[in-house]
Amino acid sequence: MLAVENVTFAYVEGSPVLSGIDFSASKGEVVAIVGRNGAGKSTLLRLLNGLYQPAEGRVVVDGLSTSDTPVHELAQHIGTVFQAPEQQIFNATIRGEIAFGPKQQGLSGEALDKRIAEVLQRIGLPDSGDEHPLDIDASARRLVAVGSVLAMQPPILLLDEPQRGLDKAAMQRLETIIAEEKARGTLVLLVCHDMDFVARRADRVLALARGVLSADKLTAEFFTDTALTEAAGVETPDVLSLSLDLGLPPCLTPTAFTQAYMTRRVGGT
Amino acid sequence: MAPLIEVHDLRFRYPLAKAPILDGLSLVIGEGERVAILAPNAAGKTTLARWLAGHLPDGALKAESGFVAMEGRNWSEWDVAERAAAIQFVGQVPSQQLSGCAFTVYEEIAFGPCNLALPEAEVRRRVDEAMVVCNLAHLANRDPFTLSGGEQQRLSIAAALAMHPRVLVLDEPTSNLDPESRDDLIAQIDKLPGGLTIIVLEVALRPSLALANRFLLLDGGRIVADGTAGEVLNDPRCIEALGMTSIAAAMAGLRDAGAWPGDKALPLTLAEARASLGVQHARG
Repeated sequence: MLAVENVTFAYVEGSPVLSGIDFSASKGEVVAIVGRNGAGKSTLLRLLNGLYQPAEGRVVVDGLSTSDTPVHELAQHIGTVFQAPEQQIFNATIRGEIAFGPKQQGLSGEALDKRIAEVLQRIGLPDSGDEHPLDIDASARRLVAVGSVLAMQPPILLLDEPQRGLDKAAMQRLETIIAEEKARGTLVLLVCHDMDFVARRADRVLALARGVLSADKLTAEFFTDTALTEAAGVETPDVLSLSLDLGLPPCLTPTAFTQAYMTRRVGGT
Repeated sequence: MAPLIEVHDLRFRYPLAKAPILDGLSLVIGEGERVAILAPNAAGKTTLARWLAGHLPDGALKAESGFVAMEGRNWSEWDVAERAAAIQFVGQVPSQQLSGCAFTVYEEIAFGPCNLALPEAEVRRRVDEAMVVCNLAHLANRDPFTLSGGEQQRLSIAAALAMHPRVLVLDEPTSNLDPESRDDLIAQIDKLPGGLTIIVLEVALRPSLALANRFLLLDGGRIVADGTAGEVLNDPRCIEALGMTSIAAAMAGLRDAGAWPGDKALPLTLAEARASLGVQHARG
């Protein structure tokens, strides 16, 4: 579904931001990209969606090399929600924003209306289609940006800090969307500083440090290896730390913690 | 603690909006306080931040009633330069805050102090100081627009600090920062001389715990809870709107399973949970 082959990229010649990045990812995976500020996480996303071209190596998206495929064609295969949704929203209504992508794909009439209604429902704004996207609050705007990409039904979804600024209800909505996309076979890659979110939602973690891929592990394996988390400058999720403190198996979520704790208690060990 | 900022019965409605976003809100913040204002989405968090920072009223955007005053003077009586030297606001999207007329990080931080017509040596001193606080010295010659999101967030805070404000209003200040940058920034802010008053507006609970010692919950256009972290984060209205920290959620699971006393406050942080459960940090 996605192959990154020995990719190197530099903004300034001779000072690569990323070197020798090599990984692949498959349908239905949720992959978190983590690392310090300036580690190259957002740069990597722009290499994946073809906005940047590797200086060396190759990125293959859904069978298409980003070097030979125009960005508008790649956008049918890989949708991106950027860090600041304000920078990608440009329509006068939420409906127009959601409709823009599918219209470019040739969708029209009832099929388009149905697609828009579905997306508005999923992002929790079923009755807000006629509102201006800049008149709504920042978290709803973030979900509009997510919706505008979902509307194109890309097989790969890139989300840059999607959880930022979301309250409980909006967070639950986002997590539901990620779970639904995973279930339908979408490959989801997300850049994220919130390790509780990564622990809850990601199957796998890619860590960037000093311009290289410092880890490529399943989520629980990554967070239980302090050498890897320290190299990437990320925190261990609190619940996982507490579970290890108590001698429990590593727990990625509060629910898993409660189950592990009670299982041991009942078992009397 | 002497009152510094007073919000009195503030009622504000955006043009064409059906209902006021701030509805008779009153609040007093004292000098040197570290306040976190927690709020669900669309509760008026950023609007309140703009009122606190004196960015509102602005043109047609006026209060239906009430006012915000600093040191007893309504913000509308302050001129812009005077206000900018007293209070600084750092918004949610750092890239939107860049002046657009600075070619380097250094110039961006110097922009504000230069506009106060300060002597060159004083501008240099302030820029150097702010770069240390926000760990930007190694990026001094970089174009601000080429920085990462987290680096731009540190830059926008540095530019605010270089104005030597008495109050800093930060709208989700650490949301783009990695843990080391966040902890480093908080530690450096703690070391700043004088009683800098910090007002943080947050939707995320965990980062606010490190930044504040007084917590307010904004909901329905008013402050509905005001107290310590334990009082406000365990308030059912806060849990309903913002959820719980992951540790509190885990401990709530134990409580519901009968393994934690129902009448005992839930630990909010890892340190509190370790202390409550009598366990040691297992990983050195």
